[in-house]
Amino acid sequence: MLQYAFQRILLALAIVFVAISALYTIMITLPGDPTTVLLGPRATPEIRAEFRANMGLDDPVLMQIGNFWTRVLAGDLGTDFNRNRPVAEAVFNALPHTMALVFGAIFWSASLGILLGAFSADNRNSWLDRISGILSVGFIAAPSFVVALYSLLIFSVTLRWFPTIGAGEPGDLGSRLYHLVLPSFAIGLAWVGYVARIVRASMLETLGENYIRTARAFGLPRRVVIYNYALRVAILPAVQVLGVGIGGMLSSAVFAEIVFSRPGIGALIYDSVSGRNYPVVMGSMLVAIGFFVTCALIADLVNAALDPRHRVKS
Amino acid sequence: MNTRKSDTLHIPLSRRQILAGATALSAAALFPVAAWADGSRLNVRAYLEPDDYDPLDASGFLEELLYGCIYRKLIQYVPGEEWAWQLDLAESIEQTSPTTIAFTLKQGQMWSDGFGEITAEDVKFSMDRHMVEENNSRIKPDLGTFTHVEVTGSHSGIIHMERPFAPIWTIALPYLAGTVICKAAVEAAGGKITTAVPPAVSGPYRVVEHRLGERWVLERNPDFSGEAADFERVDLIVVVDDSAAEIAKEAGDVDFTSVGAGSVARLRDNPPAGARMTVHPALFYHWVGLNVQNPKFADIRVRQAIMHAIDVPSIMQAAFFDVAEPSTGIIAPGLIGHRPQTLIAPQADFARARALLDEAGIDRLQINLDVLNNVIHTTTAQVMQAMIAQAGIDLQISVHESGSFWSLGVASDGERWRDLELTIKRFSMTPDPYYATAWFVSEQIGDWNWEQFSNAEFDRLHDEALSETDPARRDEMYRRMQDLMEESGGYRFLTHGVTANLFADSIVPATRPDGQPLVQFFRRA
Repeated sequence: MLQYAFQRILLALAIVFVAISALYTIMITLPGDPTTVLLGPRATPEIRAEFRANMGLDDPVLMQIGNFWTRVLAGDLGTDFNRNRPVAEAVFNALPHTMALVFGAIFWSASLGILLGAFSADNRNSWLDRISGILSVGFIAAPSFVVALYSLLIFSVTLRWFPTIGAGEPGDLGSRLYHLVLPSFAIGLAWVGYVARIVRASMLETLGENYIRTARAFGLPRRVVIYNYALRVAILPAVQVLGVGIGGMLSSAVFAEIVFSRPGIGALIYDSVSGRNYPVVMGSMLVAIGFFVTCALIADLVNAALDPRHRVKS
Repeated sequence: MNTRKSDTLHIPLSRRQILAGATALSAAALFPVAAWADGSRLNVRAYLEPDDYDPLDASGFLEELLYGCIYRKLIQYVPGEEWAWQLDLAESIEQTSPTTIAFTLKQGQMWSDGFGEITAEDVKFSMDRHMVEENNSRIKPDLGTFTHVEVTGSHSGIIHMERPFAPIWTIALPYLAGTVICKAAVEAAGGKITTAVPPAVSGPYRVVEHRLGERWVLERNPDFSGEAADFERVDLIVVVDDSAAEIAKEAGDVDFTSVGAGSVARLRDNPPAGARMTVHPALFYHWVGLNVQNPKFADIRVRQAIMHAIDVPSIMQAAFFDVAEPSTGIIAPGLIGHRPQTLIAPQADFARARALLDEAGIDRLQINLDVLNNVIHTTTAQVMQAMIAQAGIDLQISVHESGSFWSLGVASDGERWRDLELTIKRFSMTPDPYYATAWFVSEQIGDWNWEQFSNAEFDRLHDEALSETDPARRDEMYRRMQDLMEESGGYRFLTHGVTANLFADSIVPATRPDGQPLVQFFRRA
């Protein structure tokens, strides 16, 4: 297990390095002079020249990438020239909000998806199973921004149950969670469908296993056999999918943070890409990719721990 | 064993407890969030996050939104329908010669946090620092020919200019560059305001907290020397998306927001309960620009044909939802230099366009149109594409994201600027015509003058109008400059657009004539 974990960690670091280096190259070769975009029309040529020099934009691409990694290894993500603050401050201020959003979405998708999938499998081929199937596919098909807007219209504007914007009062966990409900639901709903379908298929396979038949033969209650024995094994593929799905949830976080006006990495990336604010883009991307790779790694390791066949195959 | 495990997790709840819980949840659900809103709190939407507290780094209205609440100036814009200014820190201010302005400060105007009284030294420090090269002030051009402030007493001074600069009264003093900051506090902070909250403020509100990427939390400034602000707390909330802002207003989470042109008709016919909407002519200017230096358009008849084939009323209807009026130039109504009409009527004349192309010996013309990826401009492009074909012109639309688009005409970003053909753009504006014409002088080619329009008379008039203090003469000069632009065949003016504001009827908002909020003057109804 230790060797497996070591291999996975090395692979994760390599992924982060390659992804960020490639992104950096793409970013700085994109058309769009950051001095024009960032400084606006009033900036004089002298200000622009100094700005370019400060950002190192006149250096060759490879040197810029090298400088970036040198700074990162020294713990410096650079400076947000637009707002004169360290990129790390902006990124690490935004990160907890995005993490909360993603984990909230995982909570919705895991809790509702597993229940729906298990329920479907338990009632396979019944009309309840069919309704559950339609719902699951409907959830997958519904674009997250549509879910977000309708959630806002129903739960915020009409019912006034939840706030439309913001991340809640700092230091007030209740307020933070309250502001998290709708955005995390909007992101998580599509994954409810995926998880439900995966859990259902996996459950049906598991329910055909010998040990389940044995448990039934021992006279254990049906509910116990399904939810205590079969479901434990059947959720393993869902864990893997949710681990990888964090990438998709991070992408959805961009729109959720904009629609719900929440601070976060997604909003930061959106803002900085259109403004060609390279240091912030790269700092945010580094953290976002690092977060994604870490989650995928954890999902891998959890899977390997729960199912020894997985690490043996690998 | 498993059954026992299950039992340990079981939470014993009686039926009565479940019923009580359900009732409490239902009651909580029925209690509207807005009922907790405090009448002394004001939530105002900002469409982006202002840069920071230091006027050196300010770039536009977003900073002004914040600075207006926390800082003061010698003079400020008057809220209302007409562009005018009123005294703020200044007890008196007057132009004593074409290049000097004398001012006297009111007595007893205080800085917060024990920094004492506001003096002429603060005014000098605040304005002079924009002229220091090392400070890299982004708004230095707003000060024009300003050179320095001479302090003549603790509360008096003289503003000096190298040569007369008419916009000093309309752009420099009542806007960003005129913001007065505390010399002692800023010097103690190292010469620049980089702290989490400003070290000293003078406006009706002070900053309590800046939640990065989310909001500024302001509260009433107890040291404010003017009439106390009406609200105990003001939140400037960053809501990027117009639709999200509209929903937030309907849900009661913001009290004041601008809304998109597409929502105006619906909200006017059916406003949300407890809300009102006002629509103001904006200062922006949208136009279709043609690169007059492109060899494809070397023949003036070709340029004129294209301009005649653009039907502005159709664009107003489709892209601006029929709420905006066609513009007559780059200078909005109410400002010096506004033209009563264009040289070419807003309605397209396809027969004339076709005839001009025939005269130029062109059967079919293919043009590329570069646009920004926003709904208004992409719709405008599509309308143009559909209509301009009637004159025998095929339009190829290229849509760009903002970073890429705004460097298309910039010489330092490659060679693309030379090959530009048609573009649709919108520029922001301040309430002085100088700010509009500044981007179209010859020296702006390769920078912001994407039409590569170069006219010696235009350049001369722009320079002369800057120092012209006679409003009638100035008006005439700017009108002539717009005529020259249009005569070049490089410009089809579209509209200034509108600013629509949606707000709670529990507040009395204050806005500039172009609809931009002056939060410092907001009151409770």
